[in-house]
Amino acid sequence: MSAQKTYTRFTLDQRIEHVVQLVSFTVLAVTGLPQKYASAPISEAIIAFLGGIEQVRIIHRWAATVLMVATVYHLAMLAYKIFVTRVRPTMLPELKDAKDALQAFLYNLGLGKAWPQMGRYTFEEKAEYWAFVWGTLVMVVTGFILWNPIATAQFFPGQVIPAAKAAHGGEAVLAVLAIIIWHFYGVHIRHFNKSMWSGKLTEHEMAHEHPLELADIKAGTAARYVDPVVLKKRQQIFYPVAGVASVALLVGVYWFVTFEQSAITTLPERATVPVFLPQTPTPLPPTPTPPPVEALTWDGYVATLFAAKCTACHGGAGGLSLETYAATIQGGRSGSVLAGSPETSPLITIQQAGGHPGQLTEIELERLTQWLQNGAPEK
Amino acid sequence: MALGLGVAVALMLAAPQAAASVAAAPPAVPPGEALAQPGVSNDYCLECHGRPNQIRTLPSGELQYMTIDRLAFSTSVHGEGGYACVQCHTAIREYPHPESTAQDLRDVSLQNYTTCQQCHSSQYEKQMDSVHSAALQAGDRNAAVCTDCHNPHYQRRLTDPTTGELWAAARLVVPQTCARCHSAIYDQYKQTVHGAALLGDETHPGGNPDVPTCIDCHGVHDQVDPTTAAFRLSSTELCAKCHTDPARMDKYGISTNVLSTYLADFHGTTVTLFQKVTPDQETNKPVCYDCHGIHDIKAVDDPEKGLHVKQNLLVTCQQCHPDATLDFPDSWLSHYEPSPEKNPLVYFVDLFYRFFIPGVLIPMGVFVVADAGRRLYTRLKKGGKH
Repeated sequence: MSAQKTYTRFTLDQRIEHVVQLVSFTVLAVTGLPQKYASAPISEAIIAFLGGIEQVRIIHRWAATVLMVATVYHLAMLAYKIFVTRVRPTMLPELKDAKDALQAFLYNLGLGKAWPQMGRYTFEEKAEYWAFVWGTLVMVVTGFILWNPIATAQFFPGQVIPAAKAAHGGEAVLAVLAIIIWHFYGVHIRHFNKSMWSGKLTEHEMAHEHPLELADIKAGTAARYVDPVVLKKRQQIFYPVAGVASVALLVGVYWFVTFEQSAITTLPERATVPVFLPQTPTPLPPTPTPPPVEALTWDGYVATLFAAKCTACHGGAGGLSLETYAATIQGGRSGSVLAGSPETSPLITIQQAGGHPGQLTEIELERLTQWLQNGAPEK
Repeated sequence: MALGLGVAVALMLAAPQAAASVAAAPPAVPPGEALAQPGVSNDYCLECHGRPNQIRTLPSGELQYMTIDRLAFSTSVHGEGGYACVQCHTAIREYPHPESTAQDLRDVSLQNYTTCQQCHSSQYEKQMDSVHSAALQAGDRNAAVCTDCHNPHYQRRLTDPTTGELWAAARLVVPQTCARCHSAIYDQYKQTVHGAALLGDETHPGGNPDVPTCIDCHGVHDQVDPTTAAFRLSSTELCAKCHTDPARMDKYGISTNVLSTYLADFHGTTVTLFQKVTPDQETNKPVCYDCHGIHDIKAVDDPEKGLHVKQNLLVTCQQCHPDATLDFPDSWLSHYEPSPEKNPLVYFVDLFYRFFIPGVLIPMGVFVVADAGRRLYTRLKKGGKH
């Protein structure tokens, strides 16, 4: 086992490409599925860990950009192989692949005699490659629609956008599960295939998994010989054409990711109304018009004034009553409010100090003073 | 809140006994023990304050009406409970009253409202968490205190004492109460699909018990600041409270899928994730009221604003998507579950993947299981030979 001959299966650039696709695919899955299943606790945890949904979406878009750039590289590399080195198109599906698949399945069920003999790419690998091509195509097209909904709605019915979202999510589930079921089983579980990292398969592995390719290699027919002069000539045409095409595709990717500003980044402005706008307060009940002065006497003026302003308190309740002429003259506990000169009587001084409930106006006080000066007549 | 009401009700029930011991005797009870022993009868106070036109002029020049309408008080919740004036006006024991330091009418309210906590402590504590209380603490003297909403002298009972629910008549009073300070919002509200159904207009008789009043969305006593990110993000739950309730919605033929369809959409998903992951962080993805209006919510078939009118919906979309064109609003499924009739393209894409995913994965799985089974079988057989 130790000194087994090995065969190169993947070149370094292919292995690097695989790592780039692996990382971007994983990041897309980790940032995409939590958006599809946003209410799941695990989704919340992932989104919180990655710094919130806006951050998750930015990461998702960066990973998508990386995947698209890697796809452009893959197309350029394919074109080189098709037009320049003109290698055998070993990844193309053939009728034999269907037969191989059936034979393998029957063998697994114990109904077939032998495991099929396969070439450079087995039916399992081809299925995965073309599934990836299909998935990438669907994701890029629907991703563009979701990334640029305004532009989409200019050319297609608006409903295409939620339909693209449905397809993007459905395809994502399919892709991730297919990778887990098919890829993980095929190259990790069934037999840990290290060739994508080491680039090599042993002769034993080759004989087991790719016997037809091994036979071709041994027969010298696996690689097509290209005359260096011819190669040089093809390259001279290929490089400028591929360069322009690649740049055009990369510009396309840039256009894709910067096509439109779908929405404003601030809160929408809205017409606001003043929050605090008090209604006009209910006015107090109208104050009564001042009583007319018939004569500056108790009956003619003072009784009405006191009834309006004073007797609410200075009625029957307190010590001082101003309800009747007699009671007013008699006064309260501290004597008559009319005692002394008009200017020094408690009636006038208390009122002039201000702040007394039932405050009299200046005119009313003047009239009361006048009334006192006249000797406080009753009639 | 139910507990708080219970306490209040218990206090009210207990009150007549307290009131029965009130004597017309001169005041001799120190403040603080007022609740247990009022000491001063209402008749004593109403001797003056029961007379008409009792007006005092405050230093600011404002007039304060000091007359208490005896009849209105007696039919108020406090009057019915037999409460004494001095149970609230604890500082006033006799005449002449202690000198008032109130400079204006607002001072009078601000000096007096704290007395409510004696009986209504749970409501009082709740309002301390409110946006009103916060504004007051920040120095806004206009911020509402207890007495601005509940006139303490004439407040009728608002809730059914057995259930704690607002009485139907009280629901009508709520918007009018808030309108005292928020009149511009009230003017919007009364013209909306909710406000018109409650308050009545040319086409509605009013009194609809199913529509929200102010407090159904903003809460009562502990109204939070509705301008925060947290309020915005959780506002969808406020609307959903009624709009996912078939008992309320079925009679109007309104779908109860409005929340689930919103959450399934890009906007709703984003808002939910913001709420769960970063509840205090603002997002510009719309919540219900960004499209339907805040206090100016119109019916969806309203010709001016209704979102069933495509042009209206476009204008709504353009608030955030200024470049949107006429077909863009169709990217929003208008709260419909995709079906062959509504949004068929989405429906059939979903249907396709419902079959396509298992259609690919099941054969894969069968092959893998068969392959693994075969290998295991071979290994065991080999192992058996050894």
